[in-house]
Amino acid sequence: MKRYALRQLVQLAVVIVGISMLAFAILHVIGDPVTLLLPQNAGKEEYARYYKLLGLDQPVYVQYWKFASRAVQGDFGKSWYTDTPAFKLVIERMPPTLYLTFAGLGMALLISLPMGILAALKRHSLVDNLCTVVAVAGQAMPLFWLGIMLIIIFAVRLKMLPASGYGTWQHFLMPAFTLGAFLAPITMRLVRSGVIEVMSTDYIKTARAKGVAEWMVVAKHAFRNACIPVITVLGLQFGQLLGGAVVTETVFAWPGVATLTVDSIRNQDFPVVQCAVVLLALIIVAINFVVDMVVGYIDPRIRVGT
Amino acid sequence: MRRILAVSFALLFVVGLGLVPAVSAQTREETLIYSLQSDIDNWDPPNSVLREAIILGYHVFDHLAVRDLKTRKVGPNLALSWKPIDDTTWEVKLRQGVKFHDGTPFTAKDVKATFDRVLDPAKKMTARGNHAKIKTVEIVDDHTVRFKTDGPYPLFVERLTAQVMQSEKVIREKGHEFMQENPIGTGPYKLVKWSRKQEHLLVRNDDYWGAKPAFKYVKVRIIPEKATEIAELLSGGVDIIKAIPPDQMDVINKSGSARTATSPILRTAMLQLDQAARSGPNPFTDKRVRQAANLAVDTDAIIKHVLNGLGDRVATGINPMAFGWDANLKPYKQDLAQAKKLLAEAGFPNGVDIVFHEGPPIVEPAIQQTNDAIVADMAKAGFRVKRNFIGDNTVLVARIKDGKAGSMFNWSWGYYSVFDADAILHDVFKCGENYSYYCNPALDDLIFQGRSTLDAKKRAETYVKAQQLLFDDAAYLYKWGLRGVWGISNRVEYQAPADEVDRMFTVTLRKK
Repeated sequence: MKRYALRQLVQLAVVIVGISMLAFAILHVIGDPVTLLLPQNAGKEEYARYYKLLGLDQPVYVQYWKFASRAVQGDFGKSWYTDTPAFKLVIERMPPTLYLTFAGLGMALLISLPMGILAALKRHSLVDNLCTVVAVAGQAMPLFWLGIMLIIIFAVRLKMLPASGYGTWQHFLMPAFTLGAFLAPITMRLVRSGVIEVMSTDYIKTARAKGVAEWMVVAKHAFRNACIPVITVLGLQFGQLLGGAVVTETVFAWPGVATLTVDSIRNQDFPVVQCAVVLLALIIVAINFVVDMVVGYIDPRIRVGT
Repeated sequence: MRRILAVSFALLFVVGLGLVPAVSAQTREETLIYSLQSDIDNWDPPNSVLREAIILGYHVFDHLAVRDLKTRKVGPNLALSWKPIDDTTWEVKLRQGVKFHDGTPFTAKDVKATFDRVLDPAKKMTARGNHAKIKTVEIVDDHTVRFKTDGPYPLFVERLTAQVMQSEKVIREKGHEFMQENPIGTGPYKLVKWSRKQEHLLVRNDDYWGAKPAFKYVKVRIIPEKATEIAELLSGGVDIIKAIPPDQMDVINKSGSARTATSPILRTAMLQLDQAARSGPNPFTDKRVRQAANLAVDTDAIIKHVLNGLGDRVATGINPMAFGWDANLKPYKQDLAQAKKLLAEAGFPNGVDIVFHEGPPIVEPAIQQTNDAIVADMAKAGFRVKRNFIGDNTVLVARIKDGKAGSMFNWSWGYYSVFDADAILHDVFKCGENYSYYCNPALDDLIFQGRSTLDAKKRAETYVKAQQLLFDDAAYLYKWGLRGVWGISNRVEYQAPADEVDRMFTVTLRKK
């Protein structure tokens, strides 16, 4: 397990360097950043001054080295629009998005696990078909629409939950459900097929032959093995969830980093974009590392096989 | 391994809970909640052009003079009286016993420091243009100041309503950077906390010299999505919202929990065309193309059918409520044949490609729907419009200021709430101004004449000439004077303001 972990860590380091290069490249593929920064009527001297100020007059590898060494210390420069350090802007808005994404993940599991197992155990029954319908509907529903519908039902009509905002546990329910509904269908389908596959294996038959109670067979023997693909997919889907968070954050006025990133891309506020890309990528990489570890722990074949 | 995993997850959970902010201490009963679609860029009103900054500024700061919303006349506030000593000198007497939020008394020193800071060219303050006619401010005694102006200055008193009073001590000791996030004024509320793009919490200033606001707390929430904002109003999460699309008014009025209020406001909307070629060469530098654009759009139909009548057609950028408006000048009427002819004459017989930078619906109700209609009408005359939406108002404003807004863009002007033609002509039509994409020396002469005499009749005549010129030259694509639409919770009483400055300190609980 230790060797496996070490190997994963080395891969992680390579990925992180790659990400930092990509983030650095963002500024250079959009053309001349100084044109964006200066007013239309700026003179040649002003251009020259800005090139020097931004260090753009130096060779690219020197620029990258400077960018990387400052980024390691959390210095991505100041936002071009608000005159605030980009790192401060991004870090302030990071926790709400992470909480929302984890809550969405939790909500997705809460919906998909029982439904997936039930559908697998009652294969080709009414329950199975019903679960499939729900999954297809969930997949087809635009997040934006679902969010507004939830607000109209639970905030405007029933007055049970706050319509938007951030702060209390009640504020989490609708956004987390919206985001969860985005991820639940695919997870449910995976759980279903995983459980079906596992239920026909020899060790399940053995367990049954030994007279183990059916619920115990499902919970202890089948579920643990059916989990492996699900955990892998959840890790991969985490990035997708951040994408879904953009819409969810907008609808629910959630002060998160996803909307900040999209706004900054639209506004061509590159220090903020670079900072957000690096930090979000780090989080996704870290989560995938944890997922690899968990899967390796659950399934010895993986850590031995590599 | 299992134990390590379990402990890490438990730790993560505990840390997570700790980071979620605690429930706020103020009760809903004593809190008034107002929402805006877009946040301010800073808490230093003279350093911002945003309407939101003007509105929030009214809560934490005071002005020397304020407008009475019933009579629309300007009356005393931190200034008790003013009089012209000669053509270029005004003497202002100040209120005594007023204190800043940090306990420092308000005196003539603060007035001088405020204007010195705004007028300093090195500081590049946004409000500088508003007060450029003021040459110096002299302290006569602790509660008297004299303003020396560059020639006669007819707008002096009106402009006093557009400048917050800041503290000399703060300017000197804390400086510009501090002032961007820490407002210390003399106003009815103090800022407790600003969570950028999320909310502002204000608490009542119990030492306020004027009328005491009914609500102890005002929370200003930033809700970018209009549908969510309306849902918050209907569910009781927010008390007052603005810029409601006309097609949503019925939903609110029939809800039983909120109502709408409308008022003509001092704001004219237009599509600015880059006649001055600030963004580079473009078809609108040709007068015939600008005229064709104006002739292409059936603006009356848009006001009637898209805005449900909530707009006042204007012939130029001058608002019907502003001094100098010419009621006799008739606006452009749709004439597609003439529009096509003009385009062909200008060298575009097969139509012309235009890029259109669109803004968010922050101050202009139904901006997207009306843009749809305008673009569709323009297409009929041969304008192939490529639309480019900019969702963040702060960014649109920054681009316009830098001359990067392109050949056509959404813009509306709220006159800094100064009810005078000069307040739009100078900032939006004069050569070389930050927000002007038009340049015509003949108009500049008229603007100069209008602001250089105290004779109201002469000024009105000058503005009639200016409007005729702007109409003939089709400076921009003229739209309408806006009518504001507010949504107001049934738990409160609130009067929709014609100067577009929401004043939460005038809101009271509704009697049951």
